[in-house]
Amino acid sequence: MENLPFFMSDGFSLVFDFPVRYSDGLAFQRRLLAARQAELIPDTVLLMQHTPTVTLGNRGRDNYLLKSEADYAAMGIELFQVERGGDVTFHGPGQWVLYPILHLGGREADAHGYLFNLEEIAIQTLNLFGVEGFRREGKSGAWTELGKLAAIGFRLKRWVSFHGMSFNVSNSLDGFETIVPCGLEGEPVTTLQMLLGDGAPSMAMVGEALLDVFEGVMGRKLEHFRAKDDLPDCLRTLSPPVAQ
Amino acid sequence: MGVPKDFFYSKSHEWVSLNEGVATVGITDFAQSQLSDLTFVELPSVGATFAAGDEAAVVESVKAAADVYAPVAGEVIEVNEVLEDAPETINSDAFEAGWLFKLRVVDEADVDSLMDADSYEEICPQL
Repeated sequence: MENLPFFMSDGFSLVFDFPVRYSDGLAFQRRLLAARQAELIPDTVLLMQHTPTVTLGNRGRDNYLLKSEADYAAMGIELFQVERGGDVTFHGPGQWVLYPILHLGGREADAHGYLFNLEEIAIQTLNLFGVEGFRREGKSGAWTELGKLAAIGFRLKRWVSFHGMSFNVSNSLDGFETIVPCGLEGEPVTTLQMLLGDGAPSMAMVGEALLDVFEGVMGRKLEHFRAKDDLPDCLRTLSPPVAQ
Repeated sequence: MGVPKDFFYSKSHEWVSLNEGVATVGITDFAQSQLSDLTFVELPSVGATFAAGDEAAVVESVKAAADVYAPVAGEVIEVNEVLEDAPETINSDAFEAGWLFKLRVVDEADVDSLMDADSYEEICPQL
């Protein structure tokens, strides 16, 4: 990179193979955001699963929550209001969330917006597994014949992105039953498992595919790490979440 | 399409048009295209004062939210109220009707630290 000559790649990917609490993941994203703004790290993409959590976006409305706070607590689902765009959504094990901490603008190779590119990553990943994914006019995310599979909500601060996209692989949809996902009433949510049944790929395969496709769509060659690896100092000192 | 030649630009994709000590501020066409269809704009209050680089507004699309920074120091003297009902104006006309707020600038020389149109176009992909 121009201003980071000591990195051999365009950036890092960091995969967590254990469920991360939403609050721990968000705190880590914020540390990465500050470090990216200060050019202490290159573009970095996190791939993780969360423990069961419902999050509301900036303008997320309470009436899209179908349960009381006590009910969510009883179900073991944490609730968060977060500063991303987009409306209410659910995260849980079996769903990948992709959090790109990218400096956008200035060196983007293509003419498309970041939102379009995130959708493209989901659609191309679906295609790799033989599922037709598509966009729907006026509704963001990636859709399939059985419903919405990938949801998007991100925030830019000084044109560094955080938050990002969730991609349903094998997660239970029970959590989505407690909300009106993205405020879209009557729109079903689906998973790769539901679409492909026994032929569905593993979480690990889908995670690898998401990162491969990310590199192509975003035009960045990444150096790949797992949370348990010996990480570069600049990442290690930001204290990535650890398995509980 | 090009960017207006007589405006100044920040690295964070705001534009400034300076006229008799008043800086009109907006986000560039590139910035709006990255965010896609805007659905909400949070404008500063008239009378608020900002240092250069302070968070001054938030623009939000269906799935994205982005901060807008004051490119120069000053006091807010007017905000574009049209955007409260029609934020999509920024998508259709980022450099004119989609302006966000006007600042009475503290020091006109502040714009010297911004980029001119040619420099901005160099760091920005052609759309």
